[in-house]
Amino acid sequence: MDPKFTEVSQVFQLFKAAFVRKDFDTCMKLLSQLKVTLTEFKSLPPLFEETPNAIQERTLARDIYEHAVFLSVKIEDQDALERDFFQLKPYYTDTHGLQPSTQEHPILGLNLLRLLVQNRIAEFHTELELLPSSALENPCIKHAIELEQSFMEGAYNRVLGARQTVPHEIYVHFMDLLAKTVRDEIAGCSEKAYDSLSINDARQMLLFSSDQDLVKYIEEEHPEWEIRKGFVFFQRAKESAPCKEIPSLQLINQTLSYARELERIV
Amino acid sequence: MTQDVEMKEQSAPSNPVSSAAPSTFQQLKEIVSLIEMGAYSREGRRIVRAIRSTIQLRRKFKASVLSAFLNFVLLPGSEAHSRLSSYLPKEDEHDMEVDTASSTTQVPVKHSLPELEIYCYVLVLIFLIDQKRYSEAKACSSAGIARVKNLNRRTVDVIAARLYFYYSLSYELTGDLAEIRGNLLALHRIATLRHDELGQETLLNLLLRNYLHYNLYDQAEKLRSKAPRFEAHSNQQFCRYLFYLGKIRTIQLEYTDAKESLLQAARKAPVSALGFRVQCNKWAVIVRLLLGEIPERTVFMQKGMEKALRPYFELTNAVRIGDLKLFKTVAERFANTFSADRTNNLIVRLRHNVIRTGLRNISISYSQISLVDVAKKLKLDSANPVADAESIVAKAIRDGAIDATLDHANGCMISKETGDIYSTNEPQIAFNSRIAFCLNMHNEAVRALRFPPNSHKEKESAEKRRERQQQEQELAKHIAEEDDDEF
Repeated sequence: MDPKFTEVSQVFQLFKAAFVRKDFDTCMKLLSQLKVTLTEFKSLPPLFEETPNAIQERTLARDIYEHAVFLSVKIEDQDALERDFFQLKPYYTDTHGLQPSTQEHPILGLNLLRLLVQNRIAEFHTELELLPSSALENPCIKHAIELEQSFMEGAYNRVLGARQTVPHEIYVHFMDLLAKTVRDEIAGCSEKAYDSLSINDARQMLLFSSDQDLVKYIEEEHPEWEIRKGFVFFQRAKESAPCKEIPSLQLINQTLSYARELERIV
Repeated sequence: MTQDVEMKEQSAPSNPVSSAAPSTFQQLKEIVSLIEMGAYSREGRRIVRAIRSTIQLRRKFKASVLSAFLNFVLLPGSEAHSRLSSYLPKEDEHDMEVDTASSTTQVPVKHSLPELEIYCYVLVLIFLIDQKRYSEAKACSSAGIARVKNLNRRTVDVIAARLYFYYSLSYELTGDLAEIRGNLLALHRIATLRHDELGQETLLNLLLRNYLHYNLYDQAEKLRSKAPRFEAHSNQQFCRYLFYLGKIRTIQLEYTDAKESLLQAARKAPVSALGFRVQCNKWAVIVRLLLGEIPERTVFMQKGMEKALRPYFELTNAVRIGDLKLFKTVAERFANTFSADRTNNLIVRLRHNVIRTGLRNISISYSQISLVDVAKKLKLDSANPVADAESIVAKAIRDGAIDATLDHANGCMISKETGDIYSTNEPQIAFNSRIAFCLNMHNEAVRALRFPPNSHKEKESAEKRRERQQQEQELAKHIAEEDDDEF
């Protein structure tokens, strides 16, 4: 066996042990070390040369990157997650003889979820197009798709309910982030839809455990809401009677362009 | 020499029994003379016409005709001739038509124009593809591409663009599109360096088609945004470009841009390109549904497209009524068609539109309705329909789809009265878009006017001048007579 290969496998074992122990600092250091040694292998993307150990090297490299993805979720670093996922992607698309990985679908689902939380819906859909239809049946990916649908429709309680049915424990972190986004969305919707809500109802809808949390949230995010007599008023009274101003600049521009074009007609 | 040969053949089939259409071989020779003229006078337009007439002849190609043509045009010992003839099967002598036999007895003039060589490659390619010999077509086209890379003449560009197209087609029919991607990119680079605009256009479209075939929308968009853009030279290439652009925009959720591109592509496409128009219309229908507008019935009843558009028609019906159950049944029934068209993911996105339309209908018909009833009418199949309905309605209100307020305590939705639309700016905006469109169309038409290039240089001969003056006099007399009559 290649001496470099054995060295890398040993460091990887250390990494896995540190990961289980939740010693994330050692993990980070070992990971950077591993990434540097991986650049010396020629059988990995983007070169994809066929050395004698090619398949094992690629399987090992893929394992390392998968663990890197899980690590970045645990330390809650979204940029690192994105970078590691992009490095992992060529292993899934151009397999070159590798066995399909068991972690492939959870990680793909994780990426979709990340895009959803960051509200990058266009990229979410482009990624979805790349998946074959067989992958869409997988529970992890199906979960992400259903979440996106409920999010677009506005059935936010379904989104929060999905937290209970997470298919993989690594998703829990993202569900928390999602809860925060959902809360902001619900606040925005309620502002437009309701004239006023009782404090109890508001607290339930925005998923706060106590009234103080609710009051603090309102003071920080929505200072224009008023709290009177046990009701939250959404300040809609000022909006009625919009002044009917004529968009004069726009009209002038349009009329000038008509005149110009008409002059051109010979 | 060529004129002599042609004259002889024209006298031969002069008997009224023979069919009126000239033989394929004769037409090919006319095309050759067209190409020669174009090459010598450096006018691309003649070559374009030559190519167009070739396509009309496509059905009549036979191996015998082609091998005779190759003998006529290329030197028998040359590399190109031997390579191309190897693709044509040797057929029996008595298959050959009479006039080709008479022409081979003469010593034909050998034309050594590179245009003709590439033209022969294209002919053989078309023949092979029509005969479904795809692997041979692949080999032939790769050889042709290697030859084109060495040539640098503008007049070859028109024929080379056709060659690129058939190159990509032969690889696509054998399912190996990914292989040629590097090649196509290199060719595009070369075409840009040589300012070969038609080649650039064709290659860009082929590359986009390549990426979209494998669903690589991201890369397609990156290429499209960085590639140089200019006025379209060919209507067909422009239509294709619009279609691919529309597809990319749809997947990226930019529906307004997508709708514009797709509708323009469907409109500009020539009437005979039925398959292409059907595809454009399918995507256009879905994009309009996603935007929330219902396409009218006439769209589905266009000639020749009724059967193909039937699943989409039923889908539109389900969305228009706002019935989720019907939508689900239709989607399942035609699932095969949708996955063949690769519109499956888009149909899934439509579900939320169905709910919105249903909500809008409810909000218009009821001034006040309880949320329990809303949930029942929308037929939401979920665990907690009332809470779902409440949040869905709230989001719809925020997005501006319906005009209403919610009353949480009583659990009902109260619709607002629809104001008078003519007192707002809406009609002005609608008028403006229509006016802008008409003016744009007028400008484009003026720009597309083409005058014959040397007409202003021609001196009027004395005869013509006399004729013209005579006509003007007659016209003046006529007008004078009319005036007299009116009095």
